[in-house]
Amino acid sequence: MMELRRAWLRWLSRHPSLRAWSVMFPGAWWLLVFFMVPLGFMFAYSFMERNVYGGVEAGFTIEHYARFADPLYMKILVRTVVYALGCTVASLLMGYPVAYAISRSGPWKNLLVFLVILPFWTSFLVRTFAMIFLMRDTGLINTTLMGMGLITEPIEMLGTPAAVMAGLVYGFLPFMVLPIYSSLEKLDPSLLEAAEVLGAKPAARFFRVVLPLSMPGVVAGSLLVFIPALGSFLTSDLLGGAKEIMIGNLVQNQFTSARNWPFGSAASFVVMGVVLLAVFAYLRSRDDDALAGA
Amino acid sequence: MAGRLPRWLVAITVAVYAFLHAPLLVLVVFSFNDSKFSAAWEGFTFQWYARLLERDDILDSLWVSLEVGLISTVVSTLLGTLLALGLARHRFRGRAAMESLLYVPIVTPEIVCGISLLIFFMFLKNVLHIPVVLGVPTIIIAHVAFNISFVTVVVRSRLEGMDRNLEEAAMILGADEFTAFWRVTVPQLWPGILSGALLAFTMSFDDYVITSLVTGPGSSTLPIVVYGMVRKNIEPSINAISTIILVVTALLIYASDRLSKPTALKP
Amino acid sequence: MSKEVSRLVEAVATGAIDRREFVRGALGLGLSVATIAAVLQGCSGEEAKAPPAPAPGGTPGPAPEPELGPIEGELHIYMWSDYIAEDTVPNFEKEFNCKVTLDTYESNEEMIAKLQAGAGGYDLVCPSGYAITVLKHLDLMEKLTRKHIPNLGNVAPIFTSTVFDPTNDHTVPWQWGVTGIAYRKDKLPTPPDSWALFLDAALKGKVTMMDDMRDNIGAWLRYRGKSLNSVDPTELAAAKVDALAAKVNLRAYISAPVKAQLVAGDVYAAQLWNGDTMQARAENDNIEFAVPKEGAAIWCDSLVIPKGARNIRAAHEFLNYILRPEVGASISNFTGYGSPNKLASEKLATPVPYPSEEQMKTLEYQQDLGAGTAVWDQLWTEIKSS
Repeated sequence: MMELRRAWLRWLSRHPSLRAWSVMFPGAWWLLVFFMVPLGFMFAYSFMERNVYGGVEAGFTIEHYARFADPLYMKILVRTVVYALGCTVASLLMGYPVAYAISRSGPWKNLLVFLVILPFWTSFLVRTFAMIFLMRDTGLINTTLMGMGLITEPIEMLGTPAAVMAGLVYGFLPFMVLPIYSSLEKLDPSLLEAAEVLGAKPAARFFRVVLPLSMPGVVAGSLLVFIPALGSFLTSDLLGGAKEIMIGNLVQNQFTSARNWPFGSAASFVVMGVVLLAVFAYLRSRDDDALAGA
Repeated sequence: MAGRLPRWLVAITVAVYAFLHAPLLVLVVFSFNDSKFSAAWEGFTFQWYARLLERDDILDSLWVSLEVGLISTVVSTLLGTLLALGLARHRFRGRAAMESLLYVPIVTPEIVCGISLLIFFMFLKNVLHIPVVLGVPTIIIAHVAFNISFVTVVVRSRLEGMDRNLEEAAMILGADEFTAFWRVTVPQLWPGILSGALLAFTMSFDDYVITSLVTGPGSSTLPIVVYGMVRKNIEPSINAISTIILVVTALLIYASDRLSKPTALKP
Repeated sequence: MSKEVSRLVEAVATGAIDRREFVRGALGLGLSVATIAAVLQGCSGEEAKAPPAPAPGGTPGPAPEPELGPIEGELHIYMWSDYIAEDTVPNFEKEFNCKVTLDTYESNEEMIAKLQAGAGGYDLVCPSGYAITVLKHLDLMEKLTRKHIPNLGNVAPIFTSTVFDPTNDHTVPWQWGVTGIAYRKDKLPTPPDSWALFLDAALKGKVTMMDDMRDNIGAWLRYRGKSLNSVDPTELAAAKVDALAAKVNLRAYISAPVKAQLVAGDVYAAQLWNGDTMQARAENDNIEFAVPKEGAAIWCDSLVIPKGARNIRAAHEFLNYILRPEVGASISNFTGYGSPNKLASEKLATPVPYPSEEQMKTLEYQQDLGAGTAVWDQLWTEIKSS
């Protein structure tokens, strides 16, 4: 057994790229077979004709992509991006301090990490309905404030963009906290002490030492919040009163009430294409920086 | 060390935790409310917990969800971590392209992912005649497929900038690559792996859209049952099961935290 | 006891079980041999006159219905959640010694997508009206073997030969209802009688309409006296104008979950189904239901056997079972909706009377719009995003 292991390692060390692939193979294979191939079907669908009873009919057309250029859909896309960006910024502003506090909390670390994720082990809908209960006119927040005599009329919270934003931030906060935490956690406290000894002010210590070290976490967290926020649809329906439509709703509707699978696929692929290009550009520049730095 | 945190930072942290946990408090309280629509407080009752005993479907679906969640988390964490290691440790042509592909599952709308998997499984069954039966295995396959990327991205961010000196030192001291990996790399990576696994379990445990499309007869997960009940009105027995899940996980977390000290290996 | 006996008699009369099975079952129930003989006598008499023998050389009669095998294994039902009384399935399991699994879906399309992909494995599904049309076009329904559902005669005439299944070949109606206005009688000065309620600026922020394009645009088509299945561009344009005028007043587009807000009093009036209104009313008796004078949508969900069903015999037994008066009544008592089963409808705790012929003139079924669906979707997207 030992011999086999050594032989395998020797062989791998002579083929570095094979070594990389042997580690990545199982995950890459799974993604390829159970994600990319199925997605390929949908990509093909996006060029086919709509079947009025659901699904597609053979044929080739780019009309579904052309249709998406309609200002109606562009407007929806822009609104969705604004919401997703706002959600990302708010999550970052709330999540970073929390991640930092957790990483500096010594023996309480693991417990605090679990407490961030614990609310998400109850169903999304149940959580959201609890938020609705808090925010509605006769809800807990308004009755408390009125009981304390701070307000006389209930504040209208449900159905406002602020409620949607609160719901989005709530839902995606762990996706921001956890990556930042995991990159901050490796920060060596002695580095900070060294900086302090050398006379760096707190702000300088943060911007010159802490933030750069946690940048990978910030980037990962921001992507993990921004991208899924783009596709969310239930939050705006439940908390925003469904009076606005997001890209997520548009896509969802095409596969349900509108029964227009090709258009739904085309709309998703447009959004996916734009996001992936941006991610690719970022990753390329990061690799180039790393090369330049090396 | 906690004492050295500035007071404002502690205040923000407490506020964020309060924000995250306030709705939970509401649902715990309302699991004891004697009203079917959770409209207002009508009095204390245990009836929703008693009702749970009658609702076999809720408990059955909870077991399905736990089974799916645990298996898919283990598999996706393992595969995702390896993928992250491969990406971080090796330079190869097309690495940026390969890494961008990782974001495809994150950016794909759930309904598109679900329908595409449904079509794919049925293609296997009806065209290639591979005996695929929709049920727990297909749900697990789907959950792993959308979870790998999340794990990889989180672990990858932990790996970034982490130096290999320790690992190399271990190898110089005579450890072979596997030993160095298990004894040095994994403990160093642990916060990233844990974070990734937690996200994976959470997403699996709460997924409705994709699961509903790849599930089969008799394998409903908890979200499917809950969505059904909540779609019309939130029956407080849902609050009751959520409360039980919360309490049990909180106890488990507390116990494991007590038992496993010290877990993290200080670098 | 007598119920079981009559079921046995019914079964042997319709040929669902053979005589030997009947005798064994009857003896098990403690019937005397003489009684059994009398019953068998009666059955054979009926049997003799039942299928008219095709005249030799003449045109053959309708093809005889196929014999279904015995109940085997489990029965898999796939239907809307919270849509069946809690004792319906357990009682069936006990009586027929057949395990039932009940899975739920939240939209017709979810269920159709699965059947369309060929997933199979379900023995009964519960499509809404327009979804029956879709299933029919996709050829996804099994034809019913009527002799195994003798209780079909209990269905009220207005729910047979509907526009969705004119020949009654594929569907057994399950529950019916109307989409109207649920309101708080203590908060509104007068009971509403028109969709114009949602245009009333005095109620701004206190009313909601359903988050569904068919219900929403449909209401505004009816408001102008048009069919709620219209695909006429000018009629739809007019409906859009009304829908937008109402949107300003609406607190939200929300469907069933509005019940909690009606009970709490945040919302004074909401477009809602009658059955859900009754469920909310159980919590607050200030809640009432009205059908606007301009008309509204009536609907009837049905059970059908999808292609690929494995336990077709058990599915038929279940269909026959739910058509029993007491079973049908118990289902409707639970859901708050009307029962299309005439005998069951008479037994309801809170009666849901059938619409009169006069009322039926303004009530309409939502039919499948075919290619028009895309037009409606575009319109709905425009309404939502302006």
